[in-house]
Amino acid sequence: MIVLALVAGLGVLATLTALVPRAVRVKLVAGLLGLVEIVGGATAIRVLATNHAIVGHTSSLVPFTGVRIDLTPLGALFTLTTAVVAIAATIHWVGYRRHAMSSVSLSSAFALFVTSLLLVPAAGDIVTFLVLWEVMALSSLVLVAHDHAKRDETRQAAWWYGAMTQGGAALITLGLVVLGGHAANPSFSAIAASASHLPAATRGAVFLVLLVGFGSKAGLVPAHVWLPRAHAEAPAPASALLSGAMVNLGIYGIVLARTLLGVGATWWWLVAGFFGVISALYGSLYAATSTDLKRLLAYSTSDNMGLVVIGLSASGLFAAHNAAASSLALIATLVLVTAHALYKSTLFLGAGSVQYATDERDLDRLGGLARTMPVTTAVIVVGALAVAALPPLNGFGAEWLVVQSLVHGLSGADPVTTVATAVFVAALALTGGLTIVAFVKAVGVGFLGRARSESAEHAREVPVSMRIAPAITAAACVALGVAPGLAITAISRASDAVAPNRSGLTATLSGFHLQALRSAVDPLALALGAVAAALVVAGLRRAGGPRTGAKLRVFEPWGSGRAVTSARMQYTATSFAEPLQRVFDDVLAPQHDLDVSHVLESRYYVERVAYASANDDIVERRLYRPVLALAAVLGVRARGLANGSVHRYLAYGFVVLVIALVVVS
Amino acid sequence: MNLRHSLQLRHVDAGSCNGCEIEIGSVFGPVYDAERIGARLVASPRHADALLVTGPVTHNMASPLERTYLAMPEPRLVIALGDCARDCGVFSGGYAVAGAVADVVPVDLEIPGCPPHPDEIVSALRRFTNR
Repeated sequence: MIVLALVAGLGVLATLTALVPRAVRVKLVAGLLGLVEIVGGATAIRVLATNHAIVGHTSSLVPFTGVRIDLTPLGALFTLTTAVVAIAATIHWVGYRRHAMSSVSLSSAFALFVTSLLLVPAAGDIVTFLVLWEVMALSSLVLVAHDHAKRDETRQAAWWYGAMTQGGAALITLGLVVLGGHAANPSFSAIAASASHLPAATRGAVFLVLLVGFGSKAGLVPAHVWLPRAHAEAPAPASALLSGAMVNLGIYGIVLARTLLGVGATWWWLVAGFFGVISALYGSLYAATSTDLKRLLAYSTSDNMGLVVIGLSASGLFAAHNAAASSLALIATLVLVTAHALYKSTLFLGAGSVQYATDERDLDRLGGLARTMPVTTAVIVVGALAVAALPPLNGFGAEWLVVQSLVHGLSGADPVTTVATAVFVAALALTGGLTIVAFVKAVGVGFLGRARSESAEHAREVPVSMRIAPAITAAACVALGVAPGLAITAISRASDAVAPNRSGLTATLSGFHLQALRSAVDPLALALGAVAAALVVAGLRRAGGPRTGAKLRVFEPWGSGRAVTSARMQYTATSFAEPLQRVFDDVLAPQHDLDVSHVLESRYYVERVAYASANDDIVERRLYRPVLALAAVLGVRARGLANGSVHRYLAYGFVVLVIALVVVS
Repeated sequence: MNLRHSLQLRHVDAGSCNGCEIEIGSVFGPVYDAERIGARLVASPRHADALLVTGPVTHNMASPLERTYLAMPEPRLVIALGDCARDCGVFSGGYAVAGAVADVVPVDLEIPGCPPHPDEIVSALRRFTNR
C-alpha cells in the first residue's frame, strides 16, 4: 500500500516538476519518472514473486468510498509490463527533443499518463478504477493532440480518440455501476462475491457492455477507428505507451469482467470471439496494405488484440469441458499480451526514430535506412521478426501456446465450440500470413534498397538515448523468446488469479513443455536449427557457385537499354501490397481516381495524367461517416429549437418537468 | 565457340529501315523456321548467347546497344545483319548515324545483303548451331 502511494506521490511530483525551466525540465521529469517506473515495476515483481496481493483502503482522497487498492498477481503482470515499456519510452523521450515534446503541458501529461498506466491495474474498487482510467485517457489525449496547432490530421486524431475513449468509458461506467449497485460495497472482491446472485440476463448484458467498453480501448474492430489515427499522430514515446501499455489495459478490463462475472454462458465468448476474429483479420489485412509505417503498426496492434481476444474466448468456451485447455488458453493470452507489449513498443519507438531522422512516415518515401541508421534498422528487424511470430523471438512462443490450447481444447467440445475453434484456428493462420506480408513490406521497402526521397537519403542515426530505448525492449523480446522460463512462472501465477492452472505447463530456460497435453517446443533449438540450415545452404551455394579464380563481373541492373538511375524504379509499399489489395478488393474497396487531360489540339496527345489512390478505413467510411453526417444534420436542425425566445425556453423547461414527473410517478 | 546446337538470340534494331526485320520475321516463320536448327529469339539480353543487330547505329541507339551488350552473360557473340550494320550502307555519313555496329561493340559475324535473303541468314546461323 505504502509503495503504491509512493508511486502515485512520485508520479504527481514528476507531473508538477514539468513547471521547472526548460533547460532542466526533461532530465528532471524523466529522472523522477524513471524512479516511478522502477518502484512500480519492483512492486509488481514482489507481488508476482510472493503471490500475495497488496490490499489497502483509505477513506480519504475520494469522498464517500475512499480509495481502495488491490494489486493482484494479474494486475501486477500488467503493471510490470507497463513499467518495462514505460522505462524504454521515457529513455526515448529524453532524446525526442523536437516536435515540442519538452513543453510544460506535454511533459506533465507524459508523467501523468505513465503514472496512471502503472496504477490502473492496482485499483481495487469501481471509483478508484474509473478515476485512474479517466486520468489515463485524458492525459494520453493531451499527448495525441501534441501538434494540434500545425496539423489538421492531429486535430482529427484527437477528436476521434477523445470521442471513442469517452464513449468507451461511459459504457464501462454503466457496466460497473450496475454491478456495484448489487454489491455490499464497490470493491471488486465484493462485486465478484455478489455477481453470481444476479439474474443471467443482467450478467450477460453487463458482460456485453463491458466487452464493448474495454474492447474500444483495446482497439477491437469496429471500435478501432481511433487507433490508426491516434497511434500514427502521437509522438513516438506516447505511441509506444498507447500500443504497448494502454491497449493492454483494455484486455485487462475484459479479464477483469470475467473475474467479476465468472465464466458465464457460451454465447458471451462466442460474441467476444467473433469480435476477436474480425479484429485479427481486418487489422492484419489493413496492416498488409498500409503504406504509412505508423498506421501499419497501429493496425497490427488491432490484429494482435484480436488474437488476444480469440485466446480469451477460447479460454471461456473451454472452461466447461476442458479445464486444462481453458487455463492454457488464458496463460497463452497473457503471454501474447506481454510479448505484444514488448515487440510493438520496440517497433513504435523505432518508427519514431525514423520519423525523427527523416520527417517521413510514408514507406514509399523511405528506403535505404539500413546503411544510414543501422541500429534503428536492427531493432526494427528484431521487432518485425517477433511480430511475425518467428522463433526464437517471444511472439513465436505466444502464438504456439495459443494454437496448442485451441487444438487441444477440441477434445470433448460440443458442436458449437468445435466450429468456433476451427474458425479461430483458420483466423490465426490467415492472420499469421498477412502479418508476415505486412512486415516484409515494412522492412524491405522502408529500410532496404535505395532511398526514395532526399530526407531518407540524408538521414542520420538518432541520438544515443533513442537508440538505447528500443534496444532495451528488443533485447527483452529476444530474452523471453530464447528463455520463456524467465516469465512463465509469473504469468501462470497471474492467470491462477482468474482460473487455476490445470494444463501442466512448465517452461524450462529454453522451451515450453505441456505435460498434460504431451507437447513441447524449444524455440532456441528451432532457431539454431534454422541458422544451421541457412549455413548449410550458404555453404552449398558457395560450393556450387563460380569456381575460385573465375572472373566475377558486376554490371548495373537491366533497364531495357536505359540507365537505371531513379530510386523510384524500385518496388514500393503500394506495389508490394497491390496483388493482395486486388484479391481483397471487395473487402477493402480501395478508391482510385484517374484524371487524364488532353492537349487542346488533339485528343491523341496527353497533357497531364493525375492518379490518386486511397485505401482509407472501410469501417470508418461505411459505418462512422454516415452516422456522423446524420448527427451533423440533426445538429443543424436542432438549432431551430433555440430561437432566442425566453417564453419558448420556459415552455421547454415546463414540458421536461412534466415528462420527468410522469416518468417518476 | 561450341554452343551445342542451341543459339539464343537477342535482336536489337539500332536504326534499321525495317527491311532486315521483315527478313528476320521470315527466318523464324513457318517457311524457313530457324527454330528447327536451334536458333531462338529471346526477350532479354540476360538470356541471350548472341546479339543480332540490324541497321546503322544511330546516335540515340549507341548507348542502349552498348548497355545491351554489357548486360549479356559471357561468352557472347555479336552478329551484324545487313549492309547497314556492316558499314552503314546507304545511310553512311547521315546526320543521325554514329557509325557501323563494329564501331560500338565487337562484331563476330557479318551477314551482307540489303536486305539479306532468309536463306543466307539461316545458313549464317547454322555456323553457330552446327545443325
